[in-house]
Amino acid sequence: MSYGMEIFDADGDEIFSTTDSTWTLLGVYVTNANTSTNHTGVPVMPTRLVTRTMIDQISGDDEAYVHTFSLSGSTLTTTAPSGSDTIKTVFTVFGK
Amino acid sequence: MAHGLLVKNASGDILIDSDFSHYHFLGKHTHASVTQVPDITGGSTANTGGIGGNSPDQNKGMQNMPAKGEIYIYSIPVNGTNPPLCFIKPTSTGSSAPFAGIILTKQNGSNWEIRVFQSAVTSASPVLYCFAPLSQISNSTSSTHGLKTFNSSGVATFDSRFKPLRAPVAGSITAPTLAHTGSVGSSWNVSLGVNASNVSTSFTNQSNANDLIYYCPSIAHACQKYEHQEADSGYYGGWFSRFSWHRSDIWWCFYRSSFRIASTSSFEVNYGVFARGHFYKHEAQESTGFGSLLGFLFGGAVFGALFLLISSASFTNVSVDAGNYLPYNNSFRNRSANSFIISKASFYD
Repeated sequence: MSYGMEIFDADGDEIFSTTDSTWTLLGVYVTNANTSTNHTGVPVMPTRLVTRTMIDQISGDDEAYVHTFSLSGSTLTTTAPSGSDTIKTVFTVFGK
Repeated sequence: MAHGLLVKNASGDILIDSDFSHYHFLGKHTHASVTQVPDITGGSTANTGGIGGNSPDQNKGMQNMPAKGEIYIYSIPVNGTNPPLCFIKPTSTGSSAPFAGIILTKQNGSNWEIRVFQSAVTSASPVLYCFAPLSQISNSTSSTHGLKTFNSSGVATFDSRFKPLRAPVAGSITAPTLAHTGSVGSSWNVSLGVNASNVSTSFTNQSNANDLIYYCPSIAHACQKYEHQEADSGYYGGWFSRFSWHRSDIWWCFYRSSFRIASTSSFEVNYGVFARGHFYKHEAQESTGFGSLLGFLFGGAVFGALFLLISSASFTNVSVDAGNYLPYNNSFRNRSANSFIISKASFYD
């Protein structure tokens, strides 16, 4: 590389460099089953990515709803589509 | 930032910001067990043998039903309350590869149980490459080389000795609407196999598809059914011998979305058959002389009764939570854009 930064381990293998792309963890937000929640204080970066993970199960309901969401500024708005069949959801917000 | 370290790449993307945590390699995990959702099947047959000669006895099991996928169960040790970020290293890649996705993430003591659904049974098994913030990693290292950053509270946020997450690709992908399009069956022959077109999204070309790993939990699912009923009545053998029969069936499949690396520049999603079932009710009567035949339930009444049977039926399996899988009909849920991240196994092998 002609410019930037490379990080090597003790064996001389490259671990990370400025030619990489990656995602920094901005926050993990949990919305409980069957509830809607606004999460505030979400850090802002030029580009953000939100992933959703369905956590646990509602008594075997693999057919559960997952929360919908919108991210605007520092607020992550999460909405339960159903008041009885929406699963607990973990929102992981990444930035770069 | 008032102090600390901020590293950007040539595109202006932030690579390291010491104010924020970074995901680091937790380990590579193979499955502890593999299972499938048991079929839910059953029915009632009354007096149907040999009556009238045309009472339909065929396909009362799982004939013509599409094959189910399988579920791999992993146990990932990780500290803390947040789940690990688990990337799937698929069993194969390309246009014939099975689809796979994480369908369950569940804390189980100090471990996280992760279940991966794969749309087809294979001899090879998917492998998980898992990541967590440094605060959730208890691994130790004696290495004294590398770069480590701390936030303003003195908490480590980046440590090159623990192989930080490198992610050359990210995007979003949306599952098809229904898993099966077109006719779902004819007479006593069901047709519920996945025939929806794969949905693809392209990404910056990578050198080797077989090296790619992906993080994209399954959230979309679909459920479809096929119903069929027939009835007949008449005379047989002589003027005073009468018959009557009626049969109603419901077949259904429950599908989960799953994913595959289709090429060095293409990520695809479709459904796999997660669970399936078949219930029927078949009754017949005959009468000689002037005896009367009882009337049978027809149409909605029979299907309503079958639904009651199905809703009260459940499977129990030590590896799969009890439940029933005809939760809704001919529809889908959670079909919204699903974010994904792609990395490379060779970064961590």
